[in-house]
Amino acid sequence: MTEKRERRERTVKLNVINEPKDSYSGGKSSLCPGCGHDQISSVIISAAWENGVEPHKIAKMSGIGCSSKTPAYYLGQSHGFNTVHGRMPSVTTGAYAVNKDLLYIGVSGDGDSASIGIGQLIHAIRRNMDMVYIVENNGVYGLTKGQYSATADIGSKKKKGAVNKTQPIDLCALAINLGCTFVARSFSGSKKQLKALLKAAMSHKGFALIDVISPCVTFNNNDESMKSYGYVKDNEVTLHMTDYIPHFNPIAEVEVPEGHFKDITLHDGSTIRLETISEEHDPTNAMQALEALHDAETNAKHVTGLLYFDNTKASLVEDLGLVDLPLIDVDDKELRPSKEMLDKINSAFLN
Amino acid sequence: MENIVNDFTINIATANGTGSQSANLILLQSLFDMGVPVSGKNLFPSNISGLPTWYIIRLSEHGYQAPGNRTDIQVLVNPATWEEDLAALEPGTVVVWNENSKLEMNRDDVVSYPIPMTKIARGINSKLSKLITNIVYVGALAEILGIKQSALESAVKTQFKGKDSAIELNTNAIQLGREYFKENLSKNDPYVAEEREIKVKQFFIEGNEAVALGSLFGGAQMLSWYPITPSSSLAEGIIAWIPKIRTNDEGESTCAVIQAEDELAAAGMVLGAGWAGGRGMTATSGPGISLMQEFIGLAYFAEIPSVFWDVCRVGPSTGLPTRTQQSDITLLYEGSHGDTQHIVLFPGTVEECFEFGWRAFDITERFQTPVFGMSDLDLGMNRWACSGFKYPDVDMDRGKVIREKDIFEAFEEFGRYLDVDGDGIPYRTLPGSGMAPILYRGTGHNPMGVYSEKPHDYLQLMKRLREKIDSSRDVLPAPILREEKECEIGIIYLGSMENTIQEIDDLLEATGLKVSQCRLRALPAHSEIEKFIERHKTTIVLEINRDGQLYGILRKEIPIDLVPKLRSVAYSDGMPPRGKIYADLILEILQEAEK
Repeated sequence: MTEKRERRERTVKLNVINEPKDSYSGGKSSLCPGCGHDQISSVIISAAWENGVEPHKIAKMSGIGCSSKTPAYYLGQSHGFNTVHGRMPSVTTGAYAVNKDLLYIGVSGDGDSASIGIGQLIHAIRRNMDMVYIVENNGVYGLTKGQYSATADIGSKKKKGAVNKTQPIDLCALAINLGCTFVARSFSGSKKQLKALLKAAMSHKGFALIDVISPCVTFNNNDESMKSYGYVKDNEVTLHMTDYIPHFNPIAEVEVPEGHFKDITLHDGSTIRLETISEEHDPTNAMQALEALHDAETNAKHVTGLLYFDNTKASLVEDLGLVDLPLIDVDDKELRPSKEMLDKINSAFLN
Repeated sequence: MENIVNDFTINIATANGTGSQSANLILLQSLFDMGVPVSGKNLFPSNISGLPTWYIIRLSEHGYQAPGNRTDIQVLVNPATWEEDLAALEPGTVVVWNENSKLEMNRDDVVSYPIPMTKIARGINSKLSKLITNIVYVGALAEILGIKQSALESAVKTQFKGKDSAIELNTNAIQLGREYFKENLSKNDPYVAEEREIKVKQFFIEGNEAVALGSLFGGAQMLSWYPITPSSSLAEGIIAWIPKIRTNDEGESTCAVIQAEDELAAAGMVLGAGWAGGRGMTATSGPGISLMQEFIGLAYFAEIPSVFWDVCRVGPSTGLPTRTQQSDITLLYEGSHGDTQHIVLFPGTVEECFEFGWRAFDITERFQTPVFGMSDLDLGMNRWACSGFKYPDVDMDRGKVIREKDIFEAFEEFGRYLDVDGDGIPYRTLPGSGMAPILYRGTGHNPMGVYSEKPHDYLQLMKRLREKIDSSRDVLPAPILREEKECEIGIIYLGSMENTIQEIDDLLEATGLKVSQCRLRALPAHSEIEKFIERHKTTIVLEINRDGQLYGILRKEIPIDLVPKLRSVAYSDGMPPRGKIYADLILEILQEAEK
């Protein structure tokens, strides 16, 4: 190795498992320039790198739509599955059943999650399936050129077309009501907050929903749209400043924010710290979270931050009652019962 | 009067939810234990309690397993179908009827045995009299036919394993039914059940349980399912057997079970398991397969191992949910939109249900494509005689999966869909392995697994997929041939028709017509099928549906000059196949062909 190269390599920043950030990058995006989804992709890359997850131990899952195309743009060293419209949760569940050791990161959109796939989303939450589920929410069907989705706000107006009069589905409120164990909302422009939430979600054992408002620059970004950049920037209420402290970092190294804060210990021993702006909000209190969502809706605002968190529920793997080893690593000889066993069964039937 | 020994059909009309199923199974099991060749068919409604149910027991020295052409002994318990059942009987039929049902016996041309079933039952236990009523007719029938008391008692013990009070109650009821007949009536019919020496010891088992066991011996690692008649007992069979054969001392198992929210999710989970490198399966019926179509196309196009068991019922739509049909041959073979073709296995016996249960996983991983097992309500939910299951004679075939780094590194170039060996089957690496990660997709892709809409890439991919499935033909279970020398007429049939074919054959032979039989056991069709058609002047494709689905597939695939040799006989009224109906239809179609 030449001295010059060595010096250059020394300047490349490595994470806790000695991987450069490049190990987490993906292909070039083919989304519209300025798309909120691309910001989210870059946050996924940063969060995975900073959390020090082995890139090949991640599985990136998606359905169909603009958002679901993005797994091609991040984590190029991870296997992924771009499945069918709205059905990513079930594919992820099946994969998880046979290999529980991967970190499953699902990316979906509001059409994928709130319409065609709402049933699968609900049941994955119900099972407390161990995964991160990101909704890139823009209130519009991008890939089919701009139809309203089920999360479009009442009174919202697309560039072309009529005002939306149908009641939107608030995925966070739905998730809280279903007993989802990690519910957060963020904004693709709030990279710092989103990264902290995502890093916490990756450490969470159970279903972690992050609903990310991610404006569609092409079909839903005029000022009358309630999911446009301009609208969200002016009307975003930050419920908490979240700051994630990875477990491999001593807590002292992190700048402790001033004022009131609350530490929540995650399953893997890492800690999420919430700086409480609205002092009365307790993220373990579902009623308060729903109230905050309701207030925001009433005032046509978006409340962001970690809305609800519950680390007491068992996740799916505990319900399945499987051996410790991921099933795909169990030897064939163990998967097929012995000949003696079949002989025993046959003779028991005969007698 | 000359005795008719072990060659008659009993039809028992009851209402469901009244315990009649236990009574009928006791009757069936005791005949079986006496060595009498016997089969039972449960005709049940899509309902939990109160609707008509019939149970047909056929005794046949020929080993015929289909319901007979006529009812010889009718048991009447259900007032709801009383008149209809009675009116349908041929003169001379034996009628064992509940004297306490307040309904009239208005036939004087039958052999009438009135039994006060309700009264006897009330005498034993007034609270449980509804349940006991059914067991009383078992006692009466035992006396009429000469069924051994010891066989009955052991069948009762098997039916109510360990429940002493139930055993006592039922044994008592049988005894009272028997005594009533002995004391108050005299036998005036020719039907006798006679004990036979048991040469090969056999047991009764349902096809669904056999598939369940086979799947677990095939190393199933994930079952996802959504309850649907008539497949639920397959999934429940797996659930019941996992603790016994796939669980360690700590109570941890090597097969995950997930009850899905619907069949779409069940299919998605199977694909997820296959994608991750596991052996995933689901069990469903026609309506479920309809819902799974999109995922089936994805599994075919993205080449994901996945096993689907379809226990067919009568379609279309909700159809007759508790009746049998070979309804989904086309749906499975050509499932999902676009050009597809799938491997389908058709077990015809419970032994094959077990065998194809484990083999399905080897085939799906070998060919990296969905594999379907097609059973039906008749095979899946009725009890069939079985002499024991055979242990898999080959090790598991995990297909072209690269698990070791050094093997991976030996590849000059690696692409998920690269046809390295020229057999159309590419190599795959698994998520988590760190080897050649790709984003699997249902969109067009090139040999490297990268998105592509290029005409050349699409054409090459579709051509390879066709060749891959085509190459499975002679690897899949070969047809079973029963050929007569220099026969002009051949019959191709499949699946549960196996249980009726011999009776059809005998009925045809009685008219002077000898036929060859060929039981197709998988699609795409084995090369022997074409040769069989070639060898015969006329080949009839016999199946239990309206449209002749298998006939349609074969007609499309055999050389055009052979097509005129092929004729379709397809019939389905929801009932288990009855030999005479098919034999008559075959004779009819052959007459037409002569013209």
